[in-house]
Amino acid sequence: MINHFLTGIYRNILKNKASSFLNLINLILGFGTFILFASLVSYEFNYDTFNTNFDNIYRVQTKQEDSYPTNYCTYSPSALRYHLLADLPEVEKVLLMREISGNQGSGQFFTLPDGGQLYEKLGYWCENSIFDIFTIGIKEGTTANALTEPNTIVITEKLANKLFPKGGAVGKQVVMGKRFPLTVTAVIADFPVNSELEPSYLISMSTFETLSGSKGFRDNWTAISNDNFILLKKGANPKLVDAKIKDAFKDIKDFEKSTPYLHPLSKMHLSPNSQPDYYIILSMLSLAAVLMLVLSCINYVNLSLANSTQRACEIGIKKVVGFSKKGIAVQFLGETMLFTFVSMILGIVAAIVAFPVLNNILDKHMDFTVFFQGHLILIVVLTSMFAGILSGIYPALILSSYNPIRVLKGKLFNDRGKTFSTKKILITAQFAISLFMLIVSLIMNNHLQFILNKELGFDNKNILFAEMNVKDNVSFETVKNRLLQHPEIADVSMSSTMPFNGNIGGYVTWEGAMPDQKEMISRNYVNYDFIPTYNLKMAYGRNFSPEYPSDNQNCIINETALKAFGWTDPIGKQVILYGKPYPVVGVVKDFHAFSVHNPIPNYIMFLNNNILIGSKMVTIRVTPGNGQKAKQLVTSELESVMPNEPFEIKDFNVILYTENAYQLWKAFEKLFLIFAIVSLIVSSIGLFGLMVFTIKRRTKEIGIRKVMGSSVTNIYQQLSLEVFALLGSAILIACPAAVLIYKVMPGTYKEPLSITVFIVGVLLIAVISQLTISYHVLKAAIRNPVETLRYE
Amino acid sequence: MIKTQNLTKAFQTEDIETLALNEVNFEVKKGEFVAIMGPSGCGKSTLLNIIGLLDNPTGGDYFFDGTNVAKFRESQRTNLRKGNIGFVFQSFNLIDELNVFENVELPLLYLKYGSKERKKMVNDVLEKMSIAHRAKHFPQQLSGGQQQRVAISRAVVANPGLILADEPTGNLDSKNGLDVMNLLSELNREGTTIVMVTHSMHDAGFAHRIINLFDGQIVTEVSNLL
Repeated sequence: MINHFLTGIYRNILKNKASSFLNLINLILGFGTFILFASLVSYEFNYDTFNTNFDNIYRVQTKQEDSYPTNYCTYSPSALRYHLLADLPEVEKVLLMREISGNQGSGQFFTLPDGGQLYEKLGYWCENSIFDIFTIGIKEGTTANALTEPNTIVITEKLANKLFPKGGAVGKQVVMGKRFPLTVTAVIADFPVNSELEPSYLISMSTFETLSGSKGFRDNWTAISNDNFILLKKGANPKLVDAKIKDAFKDIKDFEKSTPYLHPLSKMHLSPNSQPDYYIILSMLSLAAVLMLVLSCINYVNLSLANSTQRACEIGIKKVVGFSKKGIAVQFLGETMLFTFVSMILGIVAAIVAFPVLNNILDKHMDFTVFFQGHLILIVVLTSMFAGILSGIYPALILSSYNPIRVLKGKLFNDRGKTFSTKKILITAQFAISLFMLIVSLIMNNHLQFILNKELGFDNKNILFAEMNVKDNVSFETVKNRLLQHPEIADVSMSSTMPFNGNIGGYVTWEGAMPDQKEMISRNYVNYDFIPTYNLKMAYGRNFSPEYPSDNQNCIINETALKAFGWTDPIGKQVILYGKPYPVVGVVKDFHAFSVHNPIPNYIMFLNNNILIGSKMVTIRVTPGNGQKAKQLVTSELESVMPNEPFEIKDFNVILYTENAYQLWKAFEKLFLIFAIVSLIVSSIGLFGLMVFTIKRRTKEIGIRKVMGSSVTNIYQQLSLEVFALLGSAILIACPAAVLIYKVMPGTYKEPLSITVFIVGVLLIAVISQLTISYHVLKAAIRNPVETLRYE
Repeated sequence: MIKTQNLTKAFQTEDIETLALNEVNFEVKKGEFVAIMGPSGCGKSTLLNIIGLLDNPTGGDYFFDGTNVAKFRESQRTNLRKGNIGFVFQSFNLIDELNVFENVELPLLYLKYGSKERKKMVNDVLEKMSIAHRAKHFPQQLSGGQQQRVAISRAVVANPGLILADEPTGNLDSKNGLDVMNLLSELNREGTTIVMVTHSMHDAGFAHRIINLFDGQIVTEVSNLL
């Protein structure tokens, strides 16, 4: 029996080589895409799960309700760790960490064995409890007291190999920032690729207290700049802890509306700021992956039905000789399930082949083993069985219910002019899915172009910058004069932060504000040259100038702040920061201080003292075409002025294009484009099947119409119109769905939805479907009716 | 109305050429009722298809209303066929997805009659064929006799001068067969020329003249004196 079954399948495949091949490609594409994206989604959702304490680790974050929109800051103050978290009975361990940086820029330089400087971006000042809370592999040394003593450092294997290529790092010293020697106490394993936390070095927290010299660090409630992690005791209720810490800021002036809250490790990767953006994107990808699979299953049903007419005789005879309806249904279901199962296996192979491409697009280092971990493989196998049943059940029921007498007489179909058949629904669904994917990918593309070309409000071209952390002060005027001697350099400025890089927050009130009214602002301490270097435009008033000695008591605001303060005549009005009034001398036109995905903040500039000390940004505008030469000039000039300060000159566009949100959108747009292309291919296969089916069942009708006087054009028009009528219904489904996606699509600034994306999407689908059907329709339409009617 | 001269139709299959019609000469005058008889494979249906402008001969001439149409292109044949020739088939050849009214309306659509006019013409012919009460039914809901009535209605709705019937009673019982033959005779009496292919001597008895074909050639031509 099994033999008979398998031989039957094999011969059927051979008999319909072309359509079997199409069907196989269709399902492989469907499964391959689904598996690929299911792996990605699973990978994203399984971040940090390698930690054995995964379920009980929380980061204490700060919700700031006096900011609009409410700000969910990932940081919290250090005082919270010392004065509240450590005393809670539910808490097993506490961990205070702080990103290693100056105030804004991040990372540090280490001296290599050859004397060169190695810049390492990701490092933390950190307590030893990190080893109790997170699962960290040890390669050398011991973690017992690795981060307890001052001036101790733990480095990853990768960093150890760079700093100590000969091995034996533990006990040796590394020099940070050209001047601070630290003793290596342990070498740890590199963090896994799916770890949200991925520092390459950890320096003991006690070192920070010594180096920063910040007195009262342990009692500081207002510097919201630390990572506080806690490990809850097993069974402890995080809500209870939330309730106990929520009033922590109650008595802290200006922070009354801030609330600490627990953010589980499980959400740290996908929603660090408690925002749903990445969840939305992953949901959209999941939806696209599921739709792809549904689309290919629909195609499979259509193609199977198209071929079923050829098998009518087999069914009729089987029924006549005693096969039950159930037996025939089981046979067909068995066939489809076997077919989908084989396609799934080939789909996995296709996904493995395509995996490096996905990694490349996403700039990730996913391993395909992610697919074989957890329940994903089980889900895919079950999905294939489900798809097999789903794709097989309709043809199985239809075919097995054929009346053998009618079948043997060649009268298969008995639609009686039904206008709303299952078949039409399937085709409409197919069109709708393809069109939806296509329009959404066009929307994504437009959005990306919009972001790329959005007016930033400042001139981002020909800008070099250096994040400095200066210990021995230098007059910036000296640096500037030396640099401006070179014709390649047009402008030089010094500031605390720069656009897209760094932020100093704070609350201000202003002249005319209500007593409890305040606004969160982003502030920057700039020198006279900041505004001209970035080509910021003044809306009102003037830039800071040496001609006005009192400018060190003044400030410049942006248009967003002006609007927030509600002033019509801003010049001379006062902004009050920490109780001190600063008269406004100018208003700059709005510019993007952060990524274009974020709203433009209230921005206030204060004049700095023009001394290069501590954490500073140096921005250099070079003359066009001289980027490389200027980079060398600036490097050598700065090295000669500040031989003991490590730094690196970077191109501004590096931060613009490596910015996370930009990268994410670029990847997202590419992914949807892949979806759109694959769905178009799959749809074309589906349409091909549809046309084979339609033409087969309508051969007689076409013949009759021709005898009655219909021309080839008439018939071509009629069949095309029927397909277009289905496309019409699909438009009604796909377009509103795409609009919905546009609405939930994350992003503060979106380009208004353009009608063009819909027109282009519909036209493309129409043309492709027309091309696909033309061959069949014309072939049928020019066929001599005598043949078709004789065949009937 | 119809005249053929050395009409030949050859089918080429691989290496073998089969002559379905071999220099057939015959004529049908306006208002005649002619039956074509002969064993299976003698070329009856091929001849009917050529007369009906569904196919072209490979040799000889075919004059339709005095015009030689033997070498007409498909579009020319289609145009000439529309409104001039009605077809009745053994297997009715109704479109399953269309109801009775829509099936009968079909030739009028291609003749570009207006909607009102079409409605009137279809209703008239359905009344005449006593099938008007089934106008909203689909072919599968009708008996064989009723289906053939619909097919005849469709053949005559545009008032063609010529009706070609290919074994019109082949799928019917004797009572329904007789009804169909009576209908065809009545149409003939009203002036429609009819050429009918049949195996049935009984049906051929309704014709004015019987042409016997054998191996693609006319072997006898008998006038029916009844």
